[in-house]
Amino acid sequence: MTPPPGPLRVNGRPADLTGMPDSERLLDTLRWRLALKGTKEGCRTGDCGACTVLVDGRSTLSCLTLTREVDGSDVTTIDGAADDAEIARVSRAFAAAGALQCGYCTPGFVVALAGLLKERGSSAPVEELLDGLQGNLCRCTGYAAIVRGVALARAEAP
Amino acid sequence: MTGFELLVPASVEEAVAALRAGAADPPAVIAGGTDLLLDIDDGRVDPRRVLSLRRLPWRSLDWTDGALTVGSTLPLRSLEDDPEVRRRLPGLWQAVHAVGSVALRHRATLGGNLGRAAPASDLVPMLLALDAEVDLVGPRGDRRLSVDAFVRASRRTALLPDELIRSVRIPESRPSAYLWQRVRPANDISQIAVGVAFSPRERRWSVAVGGMPPRPALLAEVAHDLGDATPDDGVLRAAAVRASRAVSITSDQRASEEYRRRLVATLLLRAVRAVPLDGEGRP
Ligand SMILES: Cc1cc2nc3c(=O)[nH]c(=O)nc-3n(C[C@H](O)[C@H](O)[C@H](O)COP(=O)(O)OP(=O)(O)OC[C@H]3O[C@@H](n4cnc5c(N)ncnc54)[C@H](O)[C@@H]3O)c2cc1C
Ligand code: FES
Ligand code: FES
Repeated sequence: MTPPPGPLRVNGRPADLTGMPDSERLLDTLRWRLALKGTKEGCRTGDCGACTVLVDGRSTLSCLTLTREVDGSDVTTIDGAADDAEIARVSRAFAAAGALQCGYCTPGFVVALAGLLKERGSSAPVEELLDGLQGNLCRCTGYAAIVRGVALARAEAP
Repeated sequence: MTGFELLVPASVEEAVAALRAGAADPPAVIAGGTDLLLDIDDGRVDPRRVLSLRRLPWRSLDWTDGALTVGSTLPLRSLEDDPEVRRRLPGLWQAVHAVGSVALRHRATLGGNLGRAAPASDLVPMLLALDAEVDLVGPRGDRRLSVDAFVRASRRTALLPDELIRSVRIPESRPSAYLWQRVRPANDISQIAVGVAFSPRERRWSVAVGGMPPRPALLAEVAHDLGDATPDDGVLRAAAVRASRAVSITSDQRASEEYRRRLVATLLLRAVRAVPLDGEGRP
């Protein structure tokens, strides 16, 4: 009943999933099968948001997603920043605001915020964007610089 | 964890048949997977086969004659994004918004929340207060149960091994509110949550409390005490005290019994005051 491996696209390119076990998580597919190490593993229990990627433009926890369950979708990760205008813009805003220290949480924050801006548009109140990032944890910055990065990314979105 | 085979049936009939065929060793069902995959990681379940609902036509939301029907596999984020849900069932919107994070709600579903039946579920208390019903499909046909009859205890429901949750039905728009207390606002478990709703048709309140084992509970006597309109302050305070005594609560690592009892009273007061009886939700 399992359909043949579907055409999963990652950062615009079809992914070769030959021989992948059905139980594989999207996080492991990205990091180990496709060697896209930008997406981070923080907790593997859905609590930290470090593993956030976009699935058909919607932020998704890759540690709690079976790759087979998103067959046929477009997955965008931080490694695809060059091809995704929103991710690129948010990355620049985070850099300009100094919204990172060790940087481990940054791919998750950037991708989650890019997803929110795609969903809600830049007219969304900044409070709604911050509320939408509650699932992303940072152990270093104390969040103040991240909040500035969010405001900057919003101001610079078209 | 050992591996499993993923079954992806293309129709409801095929899905039910697959559950039936595997009766001796039933496949685990996956919707969003946000509960199931953690259960697999922790070794609480170790299925050889997992049945995916992704191709079933259940990602639906429908308003007919004032009743809302939510397909079991609709991502919670889509439920939250329906403007009518926010306007006509504000308590449900608040409860859905309280689940995890945005990225979690892009996959997590209402069917999965009911299937897991967590004592700390944020959706079960509000569904109880809204008199919601669950529609099930199985080889012996369809059946409808109240959420109250469906949810038994943690991971225990009235669902038979060869049945699936198709949808959840909320019979009418209701002025309502859902308030919770947690240490962290997102990705944390409520220490106590209170859902209240007022039925304009029957002119009565319902009150449900969540965040305690074995399952969220309706407080029928407290609801009765609130009367048939906005209660005055004395009535409301008396009802809040009664509610804090009525719940069966224990201390655990998340909060003490005493703190929880106070939370029940405080959240009930605030929730009832937050329900605008002349606002939206009134037919
Ligand atoms: C980090 C994190 C934070 C969370 N925060 C909250 C929170 O704040 N509040 C809250 O209430 N929950 C929370 N949860 C729990 C979980 O996300 C929700 O219960 C969610 O609604 C489950 O939906 P799902 O589709 O992912 O379920 P799944 O994991 O797919 O399924 C859960 C169970 O239900 C069964 N099931 C699913 N769909 C059906 C169906 N249609 N028919 C029959 N059985 C079915 C499955 O077999 C499984 O046993 C959290 C989880 C995580 C990981
Ligand atoms: S690694 Fe996925 S949420 Fe932490
Ligand atoms: S910058 Fe180190 S965890 Fe956020």
